[in-house]
Amino acid sequence: MSIRYFDGESAEVHSVAVRVTTNELVIYRPAGAEVVARWPIGEVAVLGDVQHEAAPPVVRRGSDARLIIEDPQVRSHLASLVPALQPLVPQPVAVGRRIAIFSAAIVALVGMFWGALDYGTEYAAPFLPHSLQAQLGETVLDDLLADKEECEGAAGLAAINRLANDLAREAGYRHPITVHIVEGGPVNAFTLPGGILVFYSDLITQAKDSSQVAGVVAHEIGHVVHYHPTKGLVRAYGMDLLLKLVSGGYSDMMSTVGGGGSLLLALRNGRAAEREADSTGVDLLERRGLRADGVSSFFQQLMEKEPKDAAAAAGIWSSHPPTAERIEATRRPATGRPAFSTAEWQALRNVCK
Amino acid sequence: MLVTLGWSRFWGRTNIRRYVWSHLAILGDRFEYRGRGRELLIGFLLALLLVAVWIGLMWLVWLYVFHEKPAASFGMFDLFSLSVALIGFPLAYVGHYAGLRYKLSRTRWRGIRCGMAGSAWSYGALATGLHFANATTAYLLTPLVSVSLARPRISNTRVGTLPFLFAGRAGDIYGRYIGYYFLNIVAWIVAGIAVFAAVGGTIESLGISSDDFLKLLSKPSLNTVLLVLVLAFAAYIVFGLLILPLRCWWQAYLMRYLVTHSRAGNVLFTTAITTRQMWGFLVLNYLIVLLTLGIGWPWVMHRTMKLISAQLWIYGEPNGQEIRQPTDRSPGYGEGLLDMFDVSGV
Repeated sequence: MSIRYFDGESAEVHSVAVRVTTNELVIYRPAGAEVVARWPIGEVAVLGDVQHEAAPPVVRRGSDARLIIEDPQVRSHLASLVPALQPLVPQPVAVGRRIAIFSAAIVALVGMFWGALDYGTEYAAPFLPHSLQAQLGETVLDDLLADKEECEGAAGLAAINRLANDLAREAGYRHPITVHIVEGGPVNAFTLPGGILVFYSDLITQAKDSSQVAGVVAHEIGHVVHYHPTKGLVRAYGMDLLLKLVSGGYSDMMSTVGGGGSLLLALRNGRAAEREADSTGVDLLERRGLRADGVSSFFQQLMEKEPKDAAAAAGIWSSHPPTAERIEATRRPATGRPAFSTAEWQALRNVCK
Repeated sequence: MLVTLGWSRFWGRTNIRRYVWSHLAILGDRFEYRGRGRELLIGFLLALLLVAVWIGLMWLVWLYVFHEKPAASFGMFDLFSLSVALIGFPLAYVGHYAGLRYKLSRTRWRGIRCGMAGSAWSYGALATGLHFANATTAYLLTPLVSVSLARPRISNTRVGTLPFLFAGRAGDIYGRYIGYYFLNIVAWIVAGIAVFAAVGGTIESLGISSDDFLKLLSKPSLNTVLLVLVLAFAAYIVFGLLILPLRCWWQAYLMRYLVTHSRAGNVLFTTAITTRQMWGFLVLNYLIVLLTLGIGWPWVMHRTMKLISAQLWIYGEPNGQEIRQPTDRSPGYGEGLLDMFDVSGV
């Protein structure tokens, strides 16, 4: 019976044997039966468990002394005599059940978080204080415009801002819209949180007529009134947080893979948002009695320039729906008042000069 | 326990340590790990609080020193990230030392508590200063840094009342380091030439002139991106094969030196860890964790434990009666800073 006893005061090794009486654990030297220590049964405990430790120490509560029992037979013998030593005997663990509960809990939690993120932002984003959204947007704007030239033509800026604010008011959006025009390309425009629109001047100079620019303005206002940029940001941060929670911040690889997943989610949301912005934009133009064929004719022009539909080819990897589909969905007759007066359109064309 | 919800990691880590410690024995007696998950959680929350206070402080600086005016594209976020980089570096060292102290204080051998004396803050200051000096002298101070930082860690370690002693001097290992230093430079040059030759050869064999190649890069298609990725990976492998073994050669030497110059009372330590074993420890383990998305981590733990038990040789037996239980108190919570900067392996 090889039991080692340490008195908790020094590192001296005592080879001992153990005897159980009605109310005591008696620790004694096998040779000469000299008693080393007597532990009251009520104060005996096991530290740790056999699942994690090879030899969980038996202790007397409140002292540093230890009994180390390696022999499984001795352990189960003592455990049968002293209930407090039960942890020394391996208990059957329902591994399958434990894994099932764990996985179910994780799946449920992730699902809840995901749902809250995906649907919650849909409803919560408009309630984020406008000042906060604007601050977010301006931070991003400062970053984006750091090395770019902004166009300062007052009349042109006034024209595009006038239309943007008219359309936003038509949609019941209560905050002011600010349009920035950046010199150069690509032929593009985008929206930042807080009602900030950024247009590249190439889009304006390459537009066939004012209705195309008006179409793009209307599309971007569609993004604004649906709070797409704010939702996008909230989702991105939320996904990041979710990944950290799930991976425990341990594995870089895990977050890379997960990052791919959240990118796909963002892109899917992106396509849905584009469709929503398209239809809202066209709708707003029609409600104000303005020419609403600009959106589809703008896409038409894009298609002619680059017949290969990059968005359709990229499929789920695309942030935008297939262009052909968008042309179909936004096709309107070329009727209604022009969105810009001739003078306004002239000024807008010359906004960078 | 790797892929787990963030908060359970404190308890998971504690369980893993209890397992690892109890499967390592010296002179027939197993180590015990008696830390609690709760202590790790508290440490983490304290570190979180520290960071929160720091964010608040930086916010005030932003308000009252910079008056919310971004100067030359230097905004609030730049100020914050710069300041975190500045304090993060020293704090990571402080956390490293405090984490060691915590782990030792929760470690028992023959019922005797281990511990670590010394100040984590002065270690942090020393480490920051030395690493800074090293970086500004083209890493020629590395042996000095290694030895000077090993000294406080080793000589402050105690098993009960028995202190460890460290008798290393940087001068002893400078010769080998200078050799490593220049071999390393040569290896980088060779690897660089190999990669450039390979890239050039690939481009030529594809029949693309360098002008076309530049055009391809300025308007990348999916194929170009893939090609560049493959080339980058190949370059990584070439560098890995040349540079890393050299590094392992030096690390193995350093490890042998540090271990053999440490002792505890009349107990001497030594190791003959080879470059190959160091490669297995540093590189293979990393690859295992990476390629299994972290699931292979228990395997890595097991490999590491086997390496330690095979390669840490102990001579001499301590007088058990002379090693007494320490009377000082151990830290109440653990590892917050270390956890924050995520540099703790176990």
